[in-house]
Parts: sequence; C-alpha cells; structure tokens
Amino acid sequence: MKAAPFEYVRAESLDHACQMLVQHGDEAKLIAGGQSLVPMLAMRLLAPAWLVDIHGLSELQQIAIAEDQLVIGAAVRQCVADADPRLNSAVPLLSRALHWVGHAATRNRGTVGGSLAHADPSAELALSAALLEATLTLRSERGSRQVAAGDFLIGPMMTCLEADECLLEVRFPIWQEARTGSAFEEISARHGDFAIVSAAAQVGVDQTGRCTRAALAIGGAGPSALAFNDLARRLVGTRLEDGLLRDLAQQVAAKVEPTSDLQASAAYRHHLAGVLAERALLGAKRDAGLSS
Amino acid sequence: MEQAFKYIGAKRRTKEAPRFLTGSGRFVADIHLPGMKHVAIVASPHPSARIISINTEAARAMPGVRYILDGEEFCAHTDTLYVGVDAPKLKRYALARDVVRYSGEWVVAVVADSRAQAEDAAELVEVEYQATPHVIDPELSLRDDAPLIHPEHGSNQLYHRKFVWGPVEAAFREAEERVSFRVTWGRSSTVPIETFGVLAQWHEADQLLDVWASIQMPKYPDQLARALRLPGNAVRVHYDVDVGGSFGLKRGIKHTVLVSYLARKVGAPVRFIEDRLENMRGGDMHGPDRFFDVEVAFNRDGIIKGLRIRAVDDVGAYAGRSPLQLGKPVSAICGPYQIHAIEYEPTSVMTNKTPQEAVRGFGQAPTNLALERTMDHVARHLGMDPIELRRKNFIRKDQFPYLIPSGSTYDSGDYHTVLDKALAAIDYPELLRQRDSLRAAGALAGIGISTCLEPSGGNSAFEPLFNAKNDTTTWMDSCLVRVDLSGAITGVMGTSSAGQGHETLVATVLGEVLEREPDKIRVVHADSLNALPSNSPVGSRMAIMLGGAAAGAARKLKATLIRLAAHNLGCAIDDIEYADGNTSVRGNPERGLSWDKLVEIAHRKFHLLPPEMEPGLQASFVWEVPTGGGLPTEDGRIQIYPCYSFEAHVLLIKIDADTGRPKILKYLCGHDCGVMINPDVVHGMTYGGIAHGIGAALYEKFAYTEEGELASGTLMDYLIPSSMEVPELHIVDHCTPSPLTTFGQKGSGESGYLGSAAAICNAVNDALAPRGKSIETLPMSNLAIWNTLHATLSATR
Repeated sequence: MKAAPFEYVRAESLDHACQMLVQHGDEAKLIAGGQSLVPMLAMRLLAPAWLVDIHGLSELQQIAIAEDQLVIGAAVRQCVADADPRLNSAVPLLSRALHWVGHAATRNRGTVGGSLAHADPSAELALSAALLEATLTLRSERGSRQVAAGDFLIGPMMTCLEADECLLEVRFPIWQEARTGSAFEEISARHGDFAIVSAAAQVGVDQTGRCTRAALAIGGAGPSALAFNDLARRLVGTRLEDGLLRDLAQQVAAKVEPTSDLQASAAYRHHLAGVLAERALLGAKRDAGLSS
Repeated sequence: MEQAFKYIGAKRRTKEAPRFLTGSGRFVADIHLPGMKHVAIVASPHPSARIISINTEAARAMPGVRYILDGEEFCAHTDTLYVGVDAPKLKRYALARDVVRYSGEWVVAVVADSRAQAEDAAELVEVEYQATPHVIDPELSLRDDAPLIHPEHGSNQLYHRKFVWGPVEAAFREAEERVSFRVTWGRSSTVPIETFGVLAQWHEADQLLDVWASIQMPKYPDQLARALRLPGNAVRVHYDVDVGGSFGLKRGIKHTVLVSYLARKVGAPVRFIEDRLENMRGGDMHGPDRFFDVEVAFNRDGIIKGLRIRAVDDVGAYAGRSPLQLGKPVSAICGPYQIHAIEYEPTSVMTNKTPQEAVRGFGQAPTNLALERTMDHVARHLGMDPIELRRKNFIRKDQFPYLIPSGSTYDSGDYHTVLDKALAAIDYPELLRQRDSLRAAGALAGIGISTCLEPSGGNSAFEPLFNAKNDTTTWMDSCLVRVDLSGAITGVMGTSSAGQGHETLVATVLGEVLEREPDKIRVVHADSLNALPSNSPVGSRMAIMLGGAAAGAARKLKATLIRLAAHNLGCAIDDIEYADGNTSVRGNPERGLSWDKLVEIAHRKFHLLPPEMEPGLQASFVWEVPTGGGLPTEDGRIQIYPCYSFEAHVLLIKIDADTGRPKILKYLCGHDCGVMINPDVVHGMTYGGIAHGIGAALYEKFAYTEEGELASGTLMDYLIPSSMEVPELHIVDHCTPSPLTTFGQKGSGESGYLGSAAAICNAVNDALAPRGKSIETLPMSNLAIWNTLHATLSATR
C-alpha cells in the first residue's frame, strides 16, 4: 500500500494550480485534504504523475455570506465549516449533513470541495448540494464558469470538471422563507461509513404554516445524489400533512434505481429510500415548527 | 480459599501502561537495521488456477530490486509447514508452486531497497494463469463432484470423526421433546491494528538467524528451524518485541520462513510488514467459518437429556492448527450444563478461501453460540423462561469437581450465583419492563442471555485427540527469577506478549511471593536461545501457567533466602520468619538478616553459604499444565484444559423494524475467572472481548463472491465495530477460586468474546420472535435482519 511514484508540487496560487493542470492534463491530480485520494493512491487505484496541492491557497479558504448565498471555498476543511456559526444559521442542513461525513479525524483533514469533486454517490455533501441546488464555480486558465450541482455530479466518481479545471467554491442558497426546516437521515453499516442510503429534505413555511418551498434528495440509491425537487414542489401550498409526505416519499422511492453490493441489496435500498425520505420530510416539517 | 493477598487482586496500574500510553512501545516496525531490504508480494487473483508462466524480466530491471523469488525455487529449498491433523500429503509453503488455491495466495516475492520500490516492481511481474474450477461453499466442497483443492490428499475433507459420549440413542429415544436447527458462525476473525510483521537477519559467519516478529505462536522457533532445514539453535527469535494485538492469530510462520529465506539469499536484513490487503487476503488470518446442525432431546420440565452437534468448519485452502479449533471445544462441549449424553461430529473441510488461523477462544465462541441457541430454542419450545431453563440445567456449585461426558473435569464454579449477580446488577425486572414498553410502542426489542464457559490454562490435549500419531502431552511454561547484587528483582519470561499484560502478571506474582514491591520488579522477555521452555500466550493460559511458574520460581528463591538466613543465624529453617524480604529468628526479631544482607551473602560471600548452595541468587521453575499429561481413551475422552471461567451476558437490544438496524441499549457481563491477578487487565480483556463479539454478531465477515473473490478485503468492507457501535459495557465480578492453581486464578484472555455473540444472537431473536421470525446466521447485518423481517412481512400480507 505504497503509492506509485509521483511528483508533488504545492501550488503558490490558484493561477499556478491551473497552469499545472494545463501543463500536465490527465497526468495531474489536485489534492487538498487527501482523505479519499490518498487511500486510492496507496491502493494504486490511481497513479497520477503529478499531485498539485491546493490546500494552502487562501483563495479557496473563505466562508462568506453573499446576499442570499452561503459561499464555501473548495479547500475549506470540513471541520472548519462545521465550526463556523454562519453555517448553522444560514444553511443548517449543512451542519446536519457534516455530522454524517466520515469521522472527526477525517473531517479534520477532508475538505468541502474535495468531497464534492470526488463525487461518491453516497456522499453527504454532494447530497446537500443537489438538494439545495447549489452552484459550483469552476476555474481554469480559460476562465470561470458556474454550474448547477445537478450538472456537476454526472455519475459515480464523475463530475463535469475538465482536466484543466479546478473547483473554486460552492454557493448554497439561503432560503428566505418565514420559517425553514431541514433534516438529514442516513443508514450506514457503521456510523461514519459511506451511506447505504441517505435522504435530506428542506421545507419552508409561511406564518400560517402553509408550505412555501420544499426540496427532497436521496443519496446512495443511484449513480449520484438525486434531487427530487420537482416532485417536492407539489407540497407547496399544503400544510405538509403526514400522509402527503408519505406519498411523496413513496413516489421518490419508486424512482430511484439502486444497485446491490455487499452491505445492501437493491431491494433494501429501494425500501430504505422510502423510509428515509419520509423520515427526512417529517423531520424537516418538525424543524420548521409544525407538529405531526 | 480465604487467603489475603497483598498485591494480587489490588487495583494497580499495569507495568506496560506507561510504555504504551506514551507511545514508547517497540514494535517490529520500530526496528531498523542498517541495509535493511523490504518485501512486496504478488498475489493470485484467482481462487483456483494453474500457473503457466512467471515473467520477472521487467520487474528485475526496476530500480532498487534485489531479488525476486517464486515458488519453484522456494519450495525446493524449504520444507512444508506443520499441519495439525494427520494429512501427510498436504503441503503448505509461503509461495504457491504450479497451482494457486485461493484468491490472494502469494505467488512471487519481490525484495527491494524500499517497500515502495518493491511494490513498483511487483506490479510488473507477469504471471500467466489458467483458471480451474473452484469451490467456496463448504457443503458443496464435501460433495464427490467438488474440485479437489489438494488432489494428492484425495478429498476436501481434512478431518472427520463422530464422538459418542454417553447413552445418546437412549436419551433421544426416551426424551419427551426434541428440537433441531442449524446455526452459522460467519467467517470473521480478529483484526489487530498491527498487521503481521517480521524482520530477519542471517549471520553467515555465525550460521545464525535473528528474527524479530509480531508473533504469538507456540513452537514458532522450532517450526521455523525445521522449515528452513536449520538446527534449532541456529534460530534466535527475539521475544522483546511488542506485538500490536493478536488475539490468537499472529502465527506468521509462512511469512517468517519466506523472509528468513530471503534474508539469507540476499545477504542483508529483510523486513516484511503486511499491508492491510496482504493481511486480510493472503495473511492466512481468517477465523472459524462454521455451521452447526444441532439436535437436542429434553423433557417437558426443561431438563436436557441429550445433544447431537454436527459441526462443519471451513478452514480454507491450507491448514496449520486450524482444524484443531474443532477440538478445543470438546473441553467444554456441554457448556455449564449437566448434559450426560452427547454426540459430536466435527468435520473440517477445505475450500478455495484464505486459510483459517487461531482466533480468541480457539473455536469455543462458535460452539458457545450453538449451545446458547440450543438453550433458547428449548426454552421457546417449552414456553419457559430462558433463565429458568438455564438454572435448571446448570451444574451446581456442590457438584464440582465435575466430570463431563467428553472426559474433562471442570475445576470449580458457581454459575447460579454469577447469573443472579448479573441479573441483579442490570435490574432484570426493569429490563423486562423496558423491553415490553418498547414493544408496546411498536418497536422491536429483545433481551438476550448467554451463560458460557472459558476453558483456560491451555494445554494441547486436543492434538492427540484429533491425531493419533501425535502423542504430545507436555505443554509447560516457565519463569526465571533473579536478584542482582543491588537487590533488584528481574523476572524472565520465555515468550512475547501481545498486550495481555504479562509483565504486570509476573511482577505481581513475584512481588506477592517475595513480598517485594511489584513496581520495582523488572520483567524481560528472553530470546528463544536464552529462554526456558514456553508455549506462548495461547489458550487463555498465562495467568495460570506463567503466573504459576513465576510463583514456583519465587518460592524456590524464597526458600533459598530462608536457608541462607538459617545457616547464618544458626537456627533451624523452620525458625526463620520472612517478612517483606527480610528474615529474623522467630521470637527474637533483633536477630535477623535483611534482604540486602542476604543478597550480598549470596553474591559475594561464598564462605557464608550453606554447603551445596549455588552462589548468586536465582531460581527457575518449569510447570506442566495442571491435570495435563493424559492421552485420550479409545472413545475420545480426555481431560483437556484444567480451569473453567464462567461468564453470564445480559443485554437489551432494539431493532429499527423499517431499516433492520440493531442498537444495543444495555449490556452487562457477570464474570468469574477465580482470583484476578490484576483486575484492570481482566476487565480490559473482557471489554475488548465483548466488543469483538459484537463485531462477530453484527458486523464482521470475510465475504466471498461466487467467483471466489474476497469481497471484504479492506476495513471499508470488513466492518469492525467502533466506539459508535459498542455501547457502554458493565462487568460484575465474582470469584470462585480454582483449586488447581497457585492463587486460585483461572484464565480470562478470551473472556467476553466467548459469550457476547451468543447473547446478542439470542437478543435479536427475542426481538424478532413477536414477528414469528428467527435468524441463525452471523453476522446479523442490517441487511440480514431486514431480509428476515421482509420475508415476514410478505408472508403475513
């Protein structure tokens, strides 16, 4: 479990990192926290000729609130994000999701952008980005572009990042509803393992308790995190009656196309998708101050 | 035994704690020799294949490469490893020759200046295989049409015998009721943080091999010398290496023969430390993989009359001592119960899987699962409280020593009291209320009980039982104690430790007997050429055997001091009083000789020694296992282990019916291992053992695909419970001293593990019972439990 030989360069600036990507193309790999990449290197699942370390770049380290968006730099460590009070006040779903990401030790090193760019279909941060329809900013020597999370995550361990592109930041919308509630549910073999299935939901309600906005997404049950916000929109205008939530959960569960592996059969994942979607919706509803 | 101890049983910090807690341990990976080379392995991707060709040309050209070894050369120059049963045609080497028999089997070893370079080169070794049919399922492997793993052996069955102890047919004929079922212990193991590591150095001028290894293995130097065709005194194993966890399975004999051969060949020290992939796939460290077909005969009053157990154990593609893991449970085949008629039919079968090695309890934990599922099946069949049923069948305190049908005599015990203490400590009536209120709220909840034995004091009497050609009856251990000129005491043990606290054990015992402060006693591990005979810390034996040997040596030393004092004080030996190492004449405390004076005489003043007394101050003691030395009868009865510890587990579990996810809410273990030498050591092992059993019950499995690939070869797939999964554990102690041991101690090295998986399985089944379902296969993963429940739902809809 020793990595194949590679050259290591610590990027001096974002431009430098982008230059390295242009220069070495597919032969280069960005590294920040290394919590997914290093094990893959050690097991020789990957053998890039160059590792470009972007963790020290200040351009990738900021957390900011810009109007109705929470902006998190790609190389912000998960533990740093978790400790930032703005996260919990602006997008509390992220705080809930982060508690399911690996263990304290991996969160101490792992970064928000690294998890997104790794694009594991069961990753909690990818699920949160899909649910909230976050926008990702990608940078290359050719310039910057913004893509929606749903377009960024295109399959298992696959993103729309080109070989010369670097993830700069991710922007999570801050909902401006009268009251917003969210919940994150997950089943894994052990706490901290990759989710067998996960579900996240967020709802907004007005002063009278009527739903004004709703989002629902499922992880681990398809090639990437799947948002079902079109279906969830049907909840707008309702009082989020439990029966409606159950129906929605079942509809969503019928749409996922999970696969089987050692820990879970496709049938089990199908079932869990419905169970967890319902729990997430009920949890979000309670979090928004409505009782079941 | 109402003996007051000064140090034994006192809550004292272990001697090893400062070293390990400050990161000052010295493990194999900490030993660096100048010019040391490193090994990487090329492993078979096939479960069964012929090796057509091996091309090492490209690998040889890589930087830093020193040697590339294949099975052809290696097998020609070394001898096969030891096989524990009578299977003379079964060969086992570290590297495959001609054929591979499991996915992960080592085919080529590459030696290079660094491990990374060795891996770079190993990637370029080209091995051409021709796949051949494989078999993964043990039942299929026993069929006539199964591909033969070792054709020269003639069968995939490695061992089979049907033992009948007592009037089994009559019991089954006359009993009012019977139940039969199958229960399966999944292929799990112990997975220490430290994988196996070994460093070997050959001294050509001295014709001597030095070995440092993370080893826990009896007869390791002897087997190593034999395989290398060296005299025993050409191998020096350094036992002063800390071992980062073992729990039975650090038996890297194949690794060591390989590395030793390479060290000699390359002319430089060679180190091999398995990475996790090599460890789990090719390290030959899987544990028992066993199913039991159980039939039990009993009367309506709950009294068990007879038991039939067929046990089929899948040892994988090669075997060392693994088939014997079916033999050790003969020592406690009826558990803590009075069962007078038992039929036991063990079958050891080979498949194309990674070989099995010794794991904590040496086969007893799976057997205890079968016994404890039996008790719960009988209770359920009769509608009887499982506690009541156990109480009715327990051997009573007044029946010890108690001879069981398979020939072992249990030394002592008080099972009723330990179970009562456990139930009181967990507040059993309240536990029942909690379970029932969870059920009333719609949850699945269950209580699990297990009451199990830990045979301890490990001799190896199951070896002659399972192999008539083996008449080994000696399984001694030993200790040397010496007092230097400064008066300081050093205890010398002849084996390595894998975290069991032997230094604490020896120091406490020496301190107790000599009445000297244990903290000031040093304990060292001799190397194998300096060591007195030891059989290593296996079979839950060291508290008994090393403790007994240390006590024996200390008593000899104390007798010497008293003789010395009597001689110099001009009185009879019986007139000497000994206190805290100082001597005086009884009734005349001013006339005496202090510890320091006695030490000085012994070391410096030959003219003051009694005639025939050796100068210097040291004593050694070699001890045979108490009750050991016998050979089996024709019908397979034999006294195996001498001492029997007891544990009673009680827990409450909740299962999320929608997800199948279990959560242990409360856990308590009542434990009786006689006199505890150091309670922290005992409790630490028990906590770890329970956690290990939680893993076996709910999480851990070396799973194989139909294609014969190991599907759980990393710690992402082989699921060890973490602190998030292991609940708060409580232990209640009880002490029934053993009459056979020096201080009344019994073994505890396997405690917790021997009953926890059984108790959890019983708890899950109690939770599933209201749905009319049961689960009899470990591990009971979320998925497995959900599948069981799902089958219920579709059946009832």
